[in-house]
Amino acid sequence: MTEEIENELRRRLRPVDAPEGFADRVMRALPADVKPAAVVTLPAPRRTWARHFGMPAALAASLLAAVFLGQYVAEQRELRAEREGLEASRELMQALRLTSDKLDLAYQAVQSPPPVDPEENRS
Amino acid sequence: MPETLLLQARAGDRQAFATLVKNHQGSVFSIGLRMLNRRDAAEDLAQDVFLQLYRKLDTIESLQHLGFWLRRVAANLAIDWLRRVPYSATQSLDEGTDVIAPETDGDPLMSRELARLLGELAPHPRAVMLLRYQEDRDVAEIAAMLDMPVNTVKSHIKRSLTALRGRMIGARLIDCEDLS
Repeated sequence: MTEEIENELRRRLRPVDAPEGFADRVMRALPADVKPAAVVTLPAPRRTWARHFGMPAALAASLLAAVFLGQYVAEQRELRAEREGLEASRELMQALRLTSDKLDLAYQAVQSPPPVDPEENRS
Repeated sequence: MPETLLLQARAGDRQAFATLVKNHQGSVFSIGLRMLNRRDAAEDLAQDVFLQLYRKLDTIESLQHLGFWLRRVAANLAIDWLRRVPYSATQSLDEGTDVIAPETDGDPLMSRELARLLGELAPHPRAVMLLRYQEDRDVAEIAAMLDMPVNTVKSHIKRSLTALRGRMIGARLIDCEDLS
């Protein structure tokens, strides 16, 4: 039964003709000054000086900045190491000097004769 | 050759566009007529569809795509129109409006009743039925045209056929014995 109704629908619902002169009326209603929207190819952007050289220049500048920065950092590190080395050397010399003074005192103490006890001579 | 017609129309050839209109006007007008049940509204709708097509020709990739696009826009415009003018959704046919294809061997009473019963369906199921039985589109294509899931399309078709059968029995256009 459903198939029968489906067939009936297909038979009865065939497209009907549009009214006489329909296409002409559509054509008259088209905007005269507007072409159908064609695929618009956008003009290629102009390659200005900045666009042309901008990227390589920026890259070169970045590279130079990186090199100089690296050099500066390396120099600073070297100077700091040198300063620390000098400081350490100074501290070592100081320590050696102090040690030497103390050893001198000890040596003198050992070399000088002990003081005579008067009680010991009386007996 | 027909694809050339589309290319020519896209390039601004108005004669080619007119040929495209003539090739598809029947289908678009019929969707409007059977959705809206009014010849004047159907003609306005069809004209609107073709004016939109003129502006969107650059998006049409092939003649197959053109057919899909025209049916999709016509059906959706008709649904929108029925939403704006809800009375017409249940309005009976205009006097003298023949929304059914002229038949020589069919029962004219049956034809008129079928059109009336179809007009009583809600806009979405009506569009589904027209795209299925007038335009002979498959379920997946109808789903894409109306932006609805395939299962919804199937369910609209099933429910509409059941309703049509019930109403045809009620109108004594078919016998209850036919159900067996």
